[in-house]
Formats: sequence, structure tokens, C-alpha cells
Amino acid sequence: MTAEQPGRPRRGPGASLATAGRPGRTLPKAITSPTRAAASTVAYAVLAAVTIVFLLPLLWVLFASVNAEPSLRATPPSQFTLEHFEAVLTPETMFIPLWNSVLLSGGAAVTTVVVSVLAAYPLSRFNLRFKRPLLYTMLFATGLPVTAIMVPVYSMFVQANLLDSRGATTLFLAASSLPFGIWLMKNFLDGIPVELEEAAWVDGASSWQSLRLLVVPLAAPGMAVVGIFTLVMTWGNFFVPFLLLKSPDYLPAAVRIYSSFGQYGAIQYGALAAYSLIYSLPVILVYIAASRALGSKFTMGGALKG
Amino acid sequence: MKRFAIRRRPRRAIIAATTAATLAAALAGCSGDSQDPNTVTIAYQKFGSFVAADTLFKKVKKDFEAANPDATVELRAIEAPAEDYQTQVNLMNQSGSEAPDLIYEDSFTINQDADAGYLRPLDEYWDKWEDAERFNEQADAAVTGLDGKRYGALLGTDTRGLWYNKKLLEKAGVKTPWEPKDWDEILETARTLKSKLGKDVIPLHVPSGQPQGEEASMQGFQMLHTGTAEGDSGGLLFDEKAKKWIVGDPGFVDSLEFVKSVYGGDLSLDEQDALNANVSTINNEQRIPDGELAISMNGSWVPQAWIDSANKPWPEWQDTMEFVPMPTKDGQDPGATSLSGGWTLAMGAKATDPDLSWKVMAEAMNQENATKFAIEGAQVPVRDDIADDPKFSKAPAVNDVANELIDVTHFRPAYSEYPKVSIAITKAMEAVMLGEASPAEAAKTYDEEVAKIVGDDKVVKAGG
Amino acid sequence: MASTTVAAPEGRKGGTRPSGRPSARRGGVASWLLPLAPALFLMLVFFAGPIIWTVWVSFTNAALTGVNAAQPEFVGLANFTELFADPKFREATLLTVVFLLGSGVVGQTVLGLGLALLLQNRHPAARMVVSTVVVGAWVVPEVVAGLLWVVFLEREGGLNGVFEFLGAAPVNWLYTAPLFAVILANVWKGTAFSMMTYSAGLSEIPSYLKEAARVDGASTLQVVWHIVLPLLRRTIATTLMLVTLQTVQVFTLIYVMTAGGPGERSTTLPLLMYKEALQFGDLGYGTTVALALLIVAGLFSAAYVKMLRPEEVR
Repeated sequence: MTAEQPGRPRRGPGASLATAGRPGRTLPKAITSPTRAAASTVAYAVLAAVTIVFLLPLLWVLFASVNAEPSLRATPPSQFTLEHFEAVLTPETMFIPLWNSVLLSGGAAVTTVVVSVLAAYPLSRFNLRFKRPLLYTMLFATGLPVTAIMVPVYSMFVQANLLDSRGATTLFLAASSLPFGIWLMKNFLDGIPVELEEAAWVDGASSWQSLRLLVVPLAAPGMAVVGIFTLVMTWGNFFVPFLLLKSPDYLPAAVRIYSSFGQYGAIQYGALAAYSLIYSLPVILVYIAASRALGSKFTMGGALKG
Repeated sequence: MKRFAIRRRPRRAIIAATTAATLAAALAGCSGDSQDPNTVTIAYQKFGSFVAADTLFKKVKKDFEAANPDATVELRAIEAPAEDYQTQVNLMNQSGSEAPDLIYEDSFTINQDADAGYLRPLDEYWDKWEDAERFNEQADAAVTGLDGKRYGALLGTDTRGLWYNKKLLEKAGVKTPWEPKDWDEILETARTLKSKLGKDVIPLHVPSGQPQGEEASMQGFQMLHTGTAEGDSGGLLFDEKAKKWIVGDPGFVDSLEFVKSVYGGDLSLDEQDALNANVSTINNEQRIPDGELAISMNGSWVPQAWIDSANKPWPEWQDTMEFVPMPTKDGQDPGATSLSGGWTLAMGAKATDPDLSWKVMAEAMNQENATKFAIEGAQVPVRDDIADDPKFSKAPAVNDVANELIDVTHFRPAYSEYPKVSIAITKAMEAVMLGEASPAEAAKTYDEEVAKIVGDDKVVKAGG
Repeated sequence: MASTTVAAPEGRKGGTRPSGRPSARRGGVASWLLPLAPALFLMLVFFAGPIIWTVWVSFTNAALTGVNAAQPEFVGLANFTELFADPKFREATLLTVVFLLGSGVVGQTVLGLGLALLLQNRHPAARMVVSTVVVGAWVVPEVVAGLLWVVFLEREGGLNGVFEFLGAAPVNWLYTAPLFAVILANVWKGTAFSMMTYSAGLSEIPSYLKEAARVDGASTLQVVWHIVLPLLRRTIATTLMLVTLQTVQVFTLIYVMTAGGPGERSTTLPLLMYKEALQFGDLGYGTTVALALLIVAGLFSAAYVKMLRPEEVR
């Protein structure tokens, strides 16, 4: 595929995932032949099979969380109970860690979005001599394993006296999602026609004003995608807070679930299932809400066009 | 060319926005802990069925703060298995502000951490402390570094042996009290249990493999290895005279053979379960109370998982479980063997106020608290005024067999390299368990690894 | 800062792209540097700094405890010599490659692309159900995913339940096939990402091309092979690379599921690094493993950057 022409308004990029494909895409019935109908049946069968396979590990959570006698098998509850939820819904095991997760991941997502937009704007709009090396470096950084630099990061936190600081941990999480965030954001901004801004400049608006009043509203879907990505990636991040935070009061749910259930070798099945469910729910809800609100604009298309 | 508008104000807006973002970054930098001279932080482990340290330090905090209103005792309970706990404490020790003032520390890491400069010598305080003479010699030796300085105080010690479920053995027709005379009798009994009780009961558990870390090395391997000694020779990891690590010891291979008989002979848990990092907790809190495990090679402190203050009390244990000495390989003198360790309280080299920290430490080790810890942690006491305290001697978890094992017990060579040597032992065990190496091959790999850890000039051939 | 600096004319500034963006930027250094500053600051502090530190420590015998913690010494290339002679490292590299090929390339990419293709032109409800479930797996936090798969693959777990139902003998997955187990879990967790990018890529292929081919009598497979895949080439390359980079650094999932065991049978490079540096406290050697991982990822990353030809990076 060729690079998009500069300034060309971007076509509605890609169909949304959680929402339906656009009707226009459906092929006219006339072309549908018997073989294609058979193929379609096969396709549905395959899709159904894949969906069931993907669903299997999840079924256990749903069943075991309300089963009075949970086991490792995903069997429908023999006796319905809410006691597992009662057991985990305490401040110490659930509310405080969940709130910490919100602070860490939410903070990281907001920081990433703000910093990415700021950084992506000049990268998208200005012709800068160092731009290409910078973008290359950024892309390069996207691929660097965060795991591999955790030991030095830990050392750095120790030396700078940042250990057990939620603010610094949030910033680190944000920094680790930044390269990808900026890259996504730049591509989104590239898709926003520059003509509008030019018109605004003629009218005397500044870069700042056009960024704030024109670009940001148009880039909102892109910002949402970056935010959701950061949220999804950091919500489940275990290693970073595990190393950088020490006080039990600061630990997010990812660490709490590991220390509560990992250490008993996952024996409290019911509680584990209930915890998993509650812990996963916020980020799933945010994802669904965002994809609903943004509809077809919520897509990776703009970012990963080939 | 476009006409440029005056952009002073908007420019400032950009500056404001970016400065705000950068400031936020800088501000986050200030939220790290500051060191309060009136605060004493204690780092300790709280994991699985081990809650005795937690209750001890909570009590110390309450009492100390009541008596010293200006002071604060900050508790850092680290909920992790022993190896991860060690890592976390090491990481904290590397830091300026996070380094704890007092550290609950396994005695075998004392030398290592003293070498690293993490610990503060305590002689100046210890020599002046009135209770110091209450501590027995063994307790002093365990916390004295190679430089002759004292780096901690032992809170309690322990011994190791075999726990067995009387009811299960009787059900299988094994005569009780069961007192195995040699290794073969243990394996024989395990085979009997296996054939009589079927697959619902695991006959024997011997801690083994890397996930258990020091537990596998000490409660498992060294309980066997020390039993291969003949008189003064064999069964040692370290030659105290030559000050070198021993390689090529036939007893090492024998010990691995035992491991092979147990796991290869299907007398224990599935390898997968035995390699679960939490196997001890699961054994002590579930399999043993549920009657699923007949014989468990473990420490004298295990009843801490069953007594009233435990996570899951199991009052029936007193009528069910018996503790017997681990026999030597062929029953040779002295007939039984044991290993002793124990956890200490040490002071961090970076302690903000050593005088205050010492006061907290002394509080934690006073007669009352030491007794409490000995009872709840099911310890063999190291203060001579505890054994006679009726609170202790009448406590259900007190175990005469365990106390008597002190006569035949061994200590680990607590040199700086020991923890790494110990890991090499667990690797050898795991290789044998998984059938990846024969006992002889695994022992050879161990020898090579030890030479790599300590240096070729610091190893000596057994019997050489 | 002064506001009078005017940007140089487009041609000179834009370098190789004479047909660059319309209207060169006005304003001085501040207008682009300031917005970039927070990003640069964060990335320099949290990436560049630690990487330089990693390089330095890999030439020392620094440790978490013991004498070497107090006085680390410069040991030259000793760590690297040891690394290349270390069978554990070779094994971990091999496991990492198998994990990468199995879960990243074969699993996620093939499955992701397959799903994206199959989902095209399906009934909206079907698209919705399938993508919700697949994306659901992606959204589940990594720790939870690890624990779920432990439960699913345990001897008494769900998968053996299915096997039992089908009359097959149960398998002790986590023990006998630990690498396969973590690959399965990673495919489950990661397929959504590929599916999303491919769906987006597919939706940008003009449908008249496909329809024209069909009118000419091409079968569905032929259309996919001759029309869709060639047009999707760059999306595939990009996605493959991103997936590769994500896969080589998977830590949490494996740590939760097998912790690298039994033995070393699922110890990939990130796990080896964690064990050496943090569990055994051998910082010098551990960071050398980390550096090897960085270099491997860096090579992939560089290939990725090279693949995106200049016009992609504007």
C-alpha cells in the first residue's frame, strides 16, 4: 500500500471490532453462489469453534465464582453461592488494591495520552530535521523489552529514592507505553487534514490554539485508543509494581491476586475466580464503553497501516 | 507566505502545559520515603502458615510505641516465599532510604549480608545487654561472622525430622510408634503405605527441587547427606580444617539415590506438585490435616500450621501426628541426624538511629516476647529462661523429641558462598527427580558448579 | 523565549521530501521542543539511562549480596564468555525462539489473520460475538490469564475434562509440556491484537478489487491469495514485527504459569534474566542476559524499522 498523500483526509479507518461491520461491506446477494454459501457455512463453523475454544478458559471463572463447591473443572455450579464474592470484597484484598490499580493504570493512561499528543503534534505537523531519526528511535524503543531493563530501573529508583512511590511508578509505566503511544498518535494526527488548521492559522490562530481547538477534538478517537491500550497493558502489569512498590497499601490488584492466590497454589478456586472476575471487569467495561462510543472510529487502522 | 499572528500568549500556553507535565514528573520524585530518625522499620517475612513473626512484631510495635510515644515502629511485612523474601530484602538493603533498620533474617545469610556491608555489628550493644547471658552458645555462633563480630541475635532455633500420621500408618498395618532405623526402613514403610492405602494417600514427602530453595536443600538433601557420615568422615559440604568446599563425596550420590528412590519409585507427590513452590504450605495446611500425606520430612516447627493461632487450626493434630528422628543411612552412629537453622534479628548497616533500633530489638527479644515467639513459631528456644517457663513447657506445640535432637544436629556451613552452593544442590535434586540425570551425573554437575561458584582453589576432593 | 524565529523554507528543512507537508512550520525551537520535552524526558530517564546502566553492569561482577555487592569489580568480557559457554543460556535462547515461533508467529499471526479474514462480510452479530470473546481474552489482565490457564491445564482442569469427554487420555500439560502450555496461553491472550490490526488492514482494501476478481470467476481462496494477501503485505510485516517484539519479552504469563519449570523446561530469556539477576543475586551476569535479550529484540526492532521504508516515517 502506498503512503497516504499528505493532507488527504483519512477515510473512515477500519471497521470496529466490537461493533458490527458496516452494511456497505456486505457483498451483494446476487454474486453469492452455492459454493460460496457452503464456504460461508464452513466459515461460520470455524468461527464458532474458535469462539468456543477461546471461551473455555473463561467459562471456569464464571462458574467457579458462584459455585459453592468449586473445582478445577468448568462445571455449572452445583449450588449457587455468593460467598466467594463476599470473601474477596474486603478493603484489604479488593478495594484498596483495585483503587491502586486505578491510580497506577489510570494515571499511566492519562499521562501517556497527554504526553503522546503533545509529542505527536510537532512530529506530525512540523518538518523537522531530526524527525526521522527520532521516529526511528521511538519505533526501536517500542521493541525493547521492559522486562530486561527492570533491574537497572530498580537500581535507579533506589538511588533516586523513588522506591515505593506511586507517582514515579506511574510515570515509569507511562514511559514504557510512550513509544507505542506516540507512534499511534502521530499516525492518527497524520490522518487529520491539515487544511483546517491552515485556515485557522490564516485567521490568526496559533499552533496551540489549533492543537487545542481543532486537532484534539478530531484526534479524540486516537487518544481513546492510546489510552485504552495503555490501560489494558498496565492494568495487568505485575512485574513493575511488584518490584517498584513495597507497601502493602500501595500494591495494585495484579500483585495482590498473585500474592493471595499464587502462594496457595490456586487452591481457593472460588475466591480466585471471584477475584479474577471483579479485577478484570473495570478494564473490560472501559473497553466496551469506548468501542461503543467511538464506533467505527475505534480501530487500530490508523496506527498500523502498512 | 502566511501572515503570522502574534504568538506570545499561545506560546506561553504551550510552555505552561509542558512545564506542568515535566513538573508532575519532578514532583513524583519527591514522594519517596523520607527517613524519619524516630522511626524504626522492621522487614520480616509473612508467608503461608508462618505468621509468628507477624504477630510478634505487631505486639512489639504496640508495646514499644506505648512506652516511647515519640518513636514509631514501622512494619514491612513481605508476603513472599523465602527466596523472594531474600531478594526483596537484598534489594531494599541496596537502597539508601528503603534499607530496613531491623531485618528478620535467616541465619545462613548472615555472613553473606555482612560481607555485602548490609549489617551492623552489634557487639557494643550486646555486651552491655543484661539478657545477653541468657542466650546459649549455639545461638551466639550462628550470628557471629567470620570476622568475629556479632551481626544479629537468634530468635529461636529448630530441628528437623520425620512427621508421620499415626492413624494412616496403623491403617496400613505399620507398627506404631514407628521408629525407622535406617533409610531402607523408611522406603519400605513408604512402599507398604503405597500398596495398602492406594492412590488416595501420598506415602512420603521429601522436599526437593529448585522451587523450594533452601527448604529442599536443608530439610531434604542435607537431612540425608549428614546421615551418610561414618564417624568423622563424609556427609559434609565444607571441610572446616582445609576451609574448602568438598566435591566428589560418595555420600552426595547416595543422598541423591534416596531422592531417586522416592520420586522414581512413585512414593511421593507427583513431581509437578512436589515442585510447587508452595508445597510445604499445601502439605501442612491441607494434605496432612486431610489425611492425604502419611510421612513428611520437615521441621520441628510444623505444628505452627495447626495450633489455635494458625490460619487453619487443626486441633486433632495432637492425637494424629508424631515426630521422630531421621535415621542415618545404615543406622550407623549416632543413629539419627538433624539439621538446625533458625531466624535472627539483625540490624541494617544503614539504620537511621542504631540506639533506638537496638531498643526495639531488645524489646523483641525479651523473655516475654521470646517465649511467645517460641510457642507460636514452634521453635526450639535459645534463651535458657524459656524452657522452664510454664507457658512454654505446657504449650501444645512443644516437642521433646525436637529438643533432644539438638544433641545430634548439624549446622549449615554458613559461609558467604553457601546460599549459591545450596542452589546448586537443589538443581542436582531436581535433575534427579525429573530423571534428567542419574544421581552420579547430577553429583558431577554439582561438583563443577561448586568449583565455578567458589573457585577451583577452594574445593577439595572428599577423603582427600 | 523569543517568538520571532521564523522557520526556514520548506525545501531546505524537509530534506529529502520536497513534496513534504504543506506549509513549513512557523515558530522557533520552542514550538516543537517544548511539546516534545515531556516525552523525551520520560524516555531518556526511563529507557536510555537504564540501558546504559545495563551495558555497564554487564562488564562487572556486581551482586545483590555478598562481597561483590559491597565492591563490584570490572571483569571485562568475563560475563559474555560465560554466557556463550553456558548451556542454560543456549537452552533459554532455543526455548525463546520456539516460544516466539509457536505463539507469536504461527499462533497469533495465523490465527489472527484467519479470524480477520473469516470475519469479513459475516453477519454483524457473528462479528460482534466472535470479536468480543477474542478481545475479551486480550483484555483479561496478564496475571489472571496466567492463573486461568493454570486452572485450565491442571490435571483435573478443563482441558482434560474435554479430553475425557472425547475419550482421550488426560495429559499433565504443565508438567509434561510446559512450553506448549505457555504457548497456548500466549496465543489465547495475544491473538486479539493481530486480529485487530488485520481487520483494520482488510477494511482498507477496496472491495471493488475483490468483487472484480470474483466476477472474473476467482474462488474465495484465490481472491485471498492473489488479491488480499499481497495488498496486506505491509500490514502483515508490521504486525508480525510488533508481535515478535511483544512475544520475546513475555514474562508475567510464564512466571505465573510455570515459573520457568519444571527444571528449566520453560525458562525463556526473560525468565533466565530474572533468575540470575534477582533470585541468585548475580546482577552482573543477569544483566548480561538482559543485554542479550535487548540485542535480540533490538535486531528485530531494527529490521522492523528498516522494513518500513522511509515514506512510512514522515
